[in-house]
Amino acid sequence: MPLLELNEVTIRFGGLIAVDSVDLVIEKGEILSLIGPNGAGKSTVFNLVTGIYPPTAGTITYKEQRLNGKKSYHINRLGIARTFQNIRLFPELPVLDNVKVGRHCRSKASVFGALLRTPAVKAEEKAIEQKALECLELMGLDHKKDEAAKNLPYGEQRRLEIARAMASDPELLLLDEPAAGMNSTEKKVLVEKITSIRDMGLTVFLVEHDMKFVMGISDRVAVLDYGRKIADGSPTEVQKNPDVIAAYLGKEVV
Amino acid sequence: MGLLDGLLPAYYESILITVGIYIILALGLNLITGVTGQLNLGHAAYMCIGAYTSAIMSMHYGMPFIVAILAGGLLAAAFGVVIGYPTLRLTGDYLAICTLGFGEILKSVLYNVPAVGGAMGLAGIPPKTTLTIVFIVMIIVIISMVRVESSRFGRALVAIREDEIAAECNGINATKYKLQMFSLGCFIAGIGGALWAHKIMVLQPRDFGFLKSIEILNMVVLGGLGSIPGTILGATVLTSIPEILRFSSEYRMLLYGALLVAMMIFRPHGLMGGVSFNSIAKRGMRWLKPGDKPDDKPGQKGMGG
Amino acid sequence: MLSNLLVQLINGIALGSTYALIALGYTMVYGIILLINFAHGEIFMAGAFVGLMLVTVFKVHIIFAFLGAMLFCMIMGVIIEKIAYKPLRRSTRLAALISAIGVSIFLSNLANLVFGAKPTTFPPTEEILFKIQTYELIAGAQITNLQILTIVTSAVLMVCLQYFIKKSRIGKAMRATSQDYDTAALMGVNVNRIISYTFAIGSSLAAAGGVLVGIYFGVVKYNMGFMVGLKAFTAAVLGGIGSIPGAMFGGLLLGIGEMLAVALGLSSYRDAIAFGILILVLLIKPTGLFGTQIQKKV
Ligand SMILES: Nc1ncnc2c1ncn2[C@@H]1O[C@H](COP(=O)(O)OP(=O)(O)O)[C@@H](O)[C@H]1O
Ligand SMILES: [Mg+2]
Repeated sequence: MPLLELNEVTIRFGGLIAVDSVDLVIEKGEILSLIGPNGAGKSTVFNLVTGIYPPTAGTITYKEQRLNGKKSYHINRLGIARTFQNIRLFPELPVLDNVKVGRHCRSKASVFGALLRTPAVKAEEKAIEQKALECLELMGLDHKKDEAAKNLPYGEQRRLEIARAMASDPELLLLDEPAAGMNSTEKKVLVEKITSIRDMGLTVFLVEHDMKFVMGISDRVAVLDYGRKIADGSPTEVQKNPDVIAAYLGKEVV
Repeated sequence: MGLLDGLLPAYYESILITVGIYIILALGLNLITGVTGQLNLGHAAYMCIGAYTSAIMSMHYGMPFIVAILAGGLLAAAFGVVIGYPTLRLTGDYLAICTLGFGEILKSVLYNVPAVGGAMGLAGIPPKTTLTIVFIVMIIVIISMVRVESSRFGRALVAIREDEIAAECNGINATKYKLQMFSLGCFIAGIGGALWAHKIMVLQPRDFGFLKSIEILNMVVLGGLGSIPGTILGATVLTSIPEILRFSSEYRMLLYGALLVAMMIFRPHGLMGGVSFNSIAKRGMRWLKPGDKPDDKPGQKGMGG
Repeated sequence: MLSNLLVQLINGIALGSTYALIALGYTMVYGIILLINFAHGEIFMAGAFVGLMLVTVFKVHIIFAFLGAMLFCMIMGVIIEKIAYKPLRRSTRLAALISAIGVSIFLSNLANLVFGAKPTTFPPTEEILFKIQTYELIAGAQITNLQILTIVTSAVLMVCLQYFIKKSRIGKAMRATSQDYDTAALMGVNVNRIISYTFAIGSSLAAAGGVLVGIYFGVVKYNMGFMVGLKAFTAAVLGGIGSIPGAMFGGLLLGIGEMLAVALGLSSYRDAIAFGILILVLLIKPTGLFGTQIQKKV
């Protein structure tokens, strides 16, 4: 029983078919990477899974529930959290509050809770802070908790996005080019973090542009080209696949 | 008779009452436009609903003042839900135009309905608003807003302002929260309107037009969009200074127009952008206990980047 | 009844053609910088006053007053953009919108201080133009020579604009910029210049509308820009914001609708009806009649 299953998922934007009849399966506990040249449709797959775009055709199933037509906030509550390729933090909010927002779907105080501030609400607020601090610590950002998110350097912003996603206790974590713009030491740290997240029992679905980064940590790799899946298998299998080589050589000026 | 009434000369007492009412109105708008980033150009319309409702409650039904005030707030909130439900899905500038449009439609309806006095408006509203009452209501509103700010609900609102898609992907039902926030802001505007009606004693539809909404918007912008102390400062400055200097209304509006432009260009975060009562309290504590981190600058908050 | 309807239909076309002129400015600016230029209504008001001043104080011929108002507002529009909007191009849209509202409030109150709160009357038409004549059309409908002049002038200006946008280099650059701002900038379009041109053209059309409305209704007033501006904006949204034919069509439709409301005895609600239409269009089909749906990229 796979954790997430995409079944012939397609989306069109006007005349462009950004994702074309893609089948994809993610098993619990694995690290799956989706790679492919720029514009292949990788981020669009994430946007489909998280309910930002409705698929034109096909079904997306998560733990035996259809995700088609569900709203992003609902999907988050079901246990899927994500980061964005073009970082989307809450820039004016302090680092700690960014992560607290991530806890939203696991807490419940309402407007009236806010106004009346009952003991239960206060206790919940404490628990949210506790969790947020834990997530910051996990990503090595606890010393920056009071800074505005927009003042963090780029690499830390990427890690903050992961911390925010982790705050909702997700079962499936979607990371869209988490290593983009990082130098090699930062990348090394990031690989460790992602591995330890997997060791905590999470399933990680990773989009990467950079083939080398992926090969080290992935259990399995799928390749997209022009919206179509052209390969799916172990990192070594995929590396040898002639279609994949052609797709990469055809696009990238090495 | 309340504690604060009659302590000051009537003229100053009247100014303080006006300041207090505008602080209430501006805090309602700050929640909508400052905290959540939804530009509302029809705030005066909700003030108007509160004013008319409460006036009718007191004049025709002889209700106690507190009932009239709450009725004003509740009906304004109800209109907030009815207007907000379809319109809050729209993006920024379209929402702004819709809120403006609703304000003008309301004015037009009030002009043409004889039951509420038509263009002549309502006169003879009992003068029940006292400084004590205004002060109490203002304190309640301030405390409520501070509580909202530091709650799960308040964080969700700021998240929506900063990035609605990221907010949704982090479990926030933006539509629901915007609607709740909008009706709360309208409720506060309705309460402010009720207090205003029982101070000014005469209501006319034209007093609640676009320019009144802009006047309140100016207070929030001057103080710092999203900042509660800033909004209080903005409302105080813009209410009392023209009163004391006896500006004619044309010069005042001329100044308000220029002020909006200048603030956006030179100080988009307002006079106190990023300052909250919490950050003031933290600083105070540091100041009392020197040796801690003395150099704590509050992050600039207020408007998304 | 029928003849009354036809009379109002023709009144509606005349009124609507001026809305269309003003709506073009909103739509062009929105198409390029995604800003509701709130001050556009005040530019229209300024055009009316400048035309009036040129005719009454400087005793200029009405044709030169018309052109003078267009030139004045052209410069005014460009300056407003440079002062109040350009510094905010990298800020939030909320900031730019608030700034535009500030300009609008500033200008209408400036006019209030300069010209007073009472309406100023235009000289009678026969002194500056011609004696009003009414022509009978079919089924009891009538049209005046002033209405013909209003409709024809608006139509000529719009045809010129359409030609300019389609054929000239600047017009092509405008279309490119409004389709994809960033790509146009990358391809070497001087975006700042294009924005200036957009404001210049939009503002001069608003001024033309202002003078036409001034002559047509015989009065100008400091706050005339607010309501007319909002109606023209409604027209732009109705037609599909960003679309030039849409603005023309929306203007006519709104003018006719408004006059039909008058014919049905709803004249005290005419403003409310215009707003009602605006809100309904935004809710039901925010892309208007001619606009195209764009899926926002994430
Ligand atoms: N909202 C949208 N509207 C139109 N085209 C889009 C939209 N989102 C993505 N696309 C197009 O879909 C294709 C795939 O984009 P994306 O998924 O971002 O690629 P990748 O993440 O693999 O680099 C691109 O050609 C992109 O331009
Ligand atoms: Mg991508």
